[in-house]
Amino acid sequence: MLQGALAGLAAGGLFAVLAVCLTLMSRLVRVVNFAQSATGMFGCYVAVYLSIHMGLPTWAATVVGIVLGSALSALLGWIISTWLAEADIGTRSAVTVAVLLLLISLSFILFGNKPQPFHALLDGPAFTVSGVTVSQVTVVTVVLSIVIAIGCRAVLSKTSFGLELRALSERPTTAELMGIPAKRLSVAVWAATGLLSTLVISIVAPSQSNDATSLAMLVVPASAAALLGGFRRLDLAVIGGLVLGMAQGAVAQVDSLSVVRYFLPFLVIVGLLLWSQRKEVWDAAR
Amino acid sequence: MRKIMRGVAVAAAVTLAAAGCAKDGDGGSGGGSTGPIVVGSVNALSGAATFPESSAAAKAVFDAANAAGGVNGRQISYKALDDKGDPAAASAAAREIVGSDNAVALVGSSSLIECEINNKYYAQEKILSMSGIGVDPACFNSPNISPANVGPYHDMTLTLLYGSEVLHQDNICALLEIAGNTLPSYQAAIDEWTKITGKKLTYMDATVPYGGSDYTSYIVKARAAGCKAITVNPVEPDSIGQLKAAAAQGWNDVTWLLLTSVYSENYAKAVSNAGAGIYVPAEFYPFTDADAAQNKEWRELMTKNNIPLTSFSQGGYLAAKYFLQVIKGIKGDITRESVTKALQEMQPISDPMVGTPYVFGKADKHHDNTAGWPIKLMSGTNKWELSAQDWLRIPKN
Amino acid sequence: MPRAENSPLTRFGVPLVLAVAAVAVGYQLSVGLDGYFVFLGITAIVAGIALLGLGVVSGSAGMISLCQLTFAAVGAWVVSYLNKIEAPGGLLLWLLCGGLAAGVAGILVGLPALRLRGINLAVVTLGLAAAADLTLIQIQFPGTVDGISIERPEMFSTDREYFWLASIVLTVCCLAVYFVRRSRWGSGWQAVAFSERGTAAAGASVRTSKLTAFAVSAALGGVAGGLLAGQVSQVYPPSFSAMQSLALYVLAIMSGAHLIDMAIFGAILWVAVPELLKRWGVPQDWGFVIFGLLGTHALTTGGNLGTAVRELWRRRAKSARGTAGIELTAPPDESIELPPLGEPVLVVRDLSVSFGEVKALSGVDLEVPANGVLGVIGPNGAGKSTLVDIISGFLPQATGTVELDGGTLNGLSPTRRARAGLRRTFQQDRVPAGLSVGAYVRFVARRRLGAAEIDDALSFFGCPPARTPLRRVDVGARRLVEIVGHLLARPKVLLLDEPAAGLPHEEHVALGLRLRQVPARFGVSVLLIEHDLDLVRSVCDRITVLDFGQVLASGPQAEVLANPEVLKAYMGETEML
Repeated sequence: MLQGALAGLAAGGLFAVLAVCLTLMSRLVRVVNFAQSATGMFGCYVAVYLSIHMGLPTWAATVVGIVLGSALSALLGWIISTWLAEADIGTRSAVTVAVLLLLISLSFILFGNKPQPFHALLDGPAFTVSGVTVSQVTVVTVVLSIVIAIGCRAVLSKTSFGLELRALSERPTTAELMGIPAKRLSVAVWAATGLLSTLVISIVAPSQSNDATSLAMLVVPASAAALLGGFRRLDLAVIGGLVLGMAQGAVAQVDSLSVVRYFLPFLVIVGLLLWSQRKEVWDAAR
Repeated sequence: MRKIMRGVAVAAAVTLAAAGCAKDGDGGSGGGSTGPIVVGSVNALSGAATFPESSAAAKAVFDAANAAGGVNGRQISYKALDDKGDPAAASAAAREIVGSDNAVALVGSSSLIECEINNKYYAQEKILSMSGIGVDPACFNSPNISPANVGPYHDMTLTLLYGSEVLHQDNICALLEIAGNTLPSYQAAIDEWTKITGKKLTYMDATVPYGGSDYTSYIVKARAAGCKAITVNPVEPDSIGQLKAAAAQGWNDVTWLLLTSVYSENYAKAVSNAGAGIYVPAEFYPFTDADAAQNKEWRELMTKNNIPLTSFSQGGYLAAKYFLQVIKGIKGDITRESVTKALQEMQPISDPMVGTPYVFGKADKHHDNTAGWPIKLMSGTNKWELSAQDWLRIPKN
Repeated sequence: MPRAENSPLTRFGVPLVLAVAAVAVGYQLSVGLDGYFVFLGITAIVAGIALLGLGVVSGSAGMISLCQLTFAAVGAWVVSYLNKIEAPGGLLLWLLCGGLAAGVAGILVGLPALRLRGINLAVVTLGLAAAADLTLIQIQFPGTVDGISIERPEMFSTDREYFWLASIVLTVCCLAVYFVRRSRWGSGWQAVAFSERGTAAAGASVRTSKLTAFAVSAALGGVAGGLLAGQVSQVYPPSFSAMQSLALYVLAIMSGAHLIDMAIFGAILWVAVPELLKRWGVPQDWGFVIFGLLGTHALTTGGNLGTAVRELWRRRAKSARGTAGIELTAPPDESIELPPLGEPVLVVRDLSVSFGEVKALSGVDLEVPANGVLGVIGPNGAGKSTLVDIISGFLPQATGTVELDGGTLNGLSPTRRARAGLRRTFQQDRVPAGLSVGAYVRFVARRRLGAAEIDDALSFFGCPPARTPLRRVDVGARRLVEIVGHLLARPKVLLLDEPAAGLPHEEHVALGLRLRQVPARFGVSVLLIEHDLDLVRSVCDRITVLDFGQVLASGPQAEVLANPEVLKAYMGETEML
């Protein structure tokens, strides 16, 4: 079990970073971005395409891919904050569902569905604990998720940029009256989370199976993790991601639980909802 | 609202009816004695897993035949339809090509589900299908379908035979990705290997997910079970994921006994660490052996038509070639009845691209292609190489 | 499209005639179409039923459900299981079982998701779709491994006959959705989509409304799945992939599937787009790209194909009728005798609540006398609306006691309080635009009402007639319709939160004269929160003045308004004193 749990940690780190992105989005720009990992996937695929067909060096292609993922996310953010500035979170999120569908199909068209010949940015084992090798990718993603969470927290609580962002999310009208450029800030948040998710998927995708659908559907375990923090707390989102990854790895060690493994994110989501919903709270808006 | 509802219904009816009539106009001549001979195929052309090369290759063969004057003066009209990996679309495609277009036979189909979905319909419509690449078990145990390829089940027996008898591996494990009803067929393939060699698998895990995102835990489990060689029935992306998981674990001395499903140049390019080597019994003569005489004709035709050189295009090419050879021998009208009869009564056709002669015949099952050509992919080469000088065959008991 | 609510002939007759016509058209299509199109038609019908379901959950009730085809898989699973064990009854009965099973699955999934508002249902359903996708591939449908085909009913064994059967099933589903929409459930869906608070205030449970919507949607999904099982005769998981569920949701959004005809239109798109792409030689993957683009467009512009088509249709009708407002100018019949004030029916003691550091209310006491109208006035930010929120149960963290007719309301949810006889209206518009005036009033009243009773009450307040769609009623009039609905519920007390806001000033007094008669006419005591002192003067027997969250003065109207402290508090705030 322990072996499996450690083996699942790489996935856990990935979930954690994506969960942090989802939490940021939900908190700061009022959207649950179902296309979060899909934009990352798309950026990575472009990177692979550039490196294979255009002969760009791997690092350069990866950078271009990350920038593109970020730009894609920013574009989506721009669309949403232009036309749906006043809409509720449901409508805003529904747009990302349509975009998720669009991006998966588009990647089938542009890149086919054969394996992408990724060049690994990181490769091989880092160290060995109790017989299980922990790969470099695992170390990097786990560290990255923690660093990103701490970094975001620091930015939000310490800098004036963070203050403006929080003002925007908590008192949007007041913030606008104070002259905070709402749209520009929102798009910046979109761009930043797009960048982070493309970055982490670029790191992890070469080390696992990386077809468009499974990369895009990473948003499911990630949102389970984000839900642990109630789509508000970054630390819990990271912990949720890591624990979920480890749990999935551990469950995979038992043949009879193989179906349970698929349902793990779903069960976590349902369990968390039941827990967090013991008392009824009325949303002021509706 | 009601008026609109009616309007929409009427509009839909009119559109559909018009389209239907249009179809009646241009279809329906496939079975006659003049006009083109309609041949079709049902393929996975879009969605998460696609195999477009098989039907493309078949089309290239028919185009070449048409350019050379056709069959008995008649042109062949070839229609490759998409099943999108969706059962309803697969049924619809079969109904379009068999029911509306009145095809004489299906040639070069390549799909994950098509045989299973449509074999009864084919039996009911008394039409035969020469799949280019059959995958699901129904392709190999239906009276009306006979694929040109070996199939994953015999291929698994072959890869196990190669692992135990040629590479002398004794701790072989199986990681099976089971989709649909394939487990009994794989089990039968493994049992056949046990019957021939008297050896047993060290360990088997039939819960490995299709399209999983991280295979590390399965790899860790297999390694802990003492496996030295692993046989898998993967699709390409999954296999890449598994290789990467093993590499990340530092497991570099594992031998992979895989199936033709991973035999492609793309896959070779994507593999950086192949452990102690990837071994595959190719279902057709290995296309990566560029100068081989066996593949010369196929290679030229594919290159001319810009069709990727893959096992899939070999399967589609062979199916079309067999088909042409059989219908050229038909005396009288080429209709569904005469084609079916000719295929059922055909003499076996040998081709240097395969190790077993092809025959359709009247059998209830078509699972007689039992030879593969061993090839290997070693770490760092990014290239498939021959690893034998002759076909590896499943011995007849 | 005039719709007379009251005539049973039009309420039941027209849909039934249409249904018979639809079945006839289905038969003709099944005979007349090319074989291939018959098969495609079945696919469209299956999609149509699933879309109808999505229309209920995402269109009517405003939730995001991304696992419609997982429910279809449940239906298909039940049908293939019953087929495998050769259960009696045949496909049609199995379909029903499949639908029921999917409905139950919907309740199980919805129960946790719907407790919280917001986006949870989307997250849960996407998680379920992804998990079910992988699981189905692994476990397969019953009978598939053994190659057992689903038995179609003997009468409908060929594709053509099965198409006709499917079109009958679709018609039945459309009828069911049509009538359920017009029932309490349907009004609840509309209400909850527009405002959860409004729903709870009408005594309807928010959770039940959402759950029924989700369960009905899931059940329709199950029927679609069962029908698909009979269509393809052996069921395979790819039919129910998460991608397809996503696509179906997007299609529902862009076609506006909450309208029955548009669900059918969406179903036609579902097969027509791939078919056209095929004919034009475009790869099929573009189909979902097109859906994605159109879906994004529909969401960002707030319109969809359905409303676009309907707007075209309505343009003619629109010029004839404008928006409906109120007719209040004539004074009401003064002859009615006002009953004397009775014992307090609503007693509030020591009510306090803080938001963080801010004490919004502290130690507020007040009493609403039976047959009386209590006015609560105070400057902006005095805590008047907060008071209503607490009394009606929307701020459970508040302390203090609320007693209605001697029984305590503490700890009860807003829904329970509404059912116990304490109703409220809102300052903002919380009237769902999708209903007609009559349907909304019936929904809010929660009891059997005669048409005459509704018409009387509506005309007393000068509201538009019952059959007017609320979307054509202006905001001021909507709030009066809201009051009428709540009055017809015959609560013990009705809390009115600035009912005159949104009305032209000259109508305030006319409204006041009517509110004055409310205790006599409807037997309802009133707590009136108002800004306009003219209105307060004309209506209230007693007045409580709030300032900075505390009671400044309380007592009979003349006494309170003469209080110098009240005058002081109001100086600068208004010149009306």
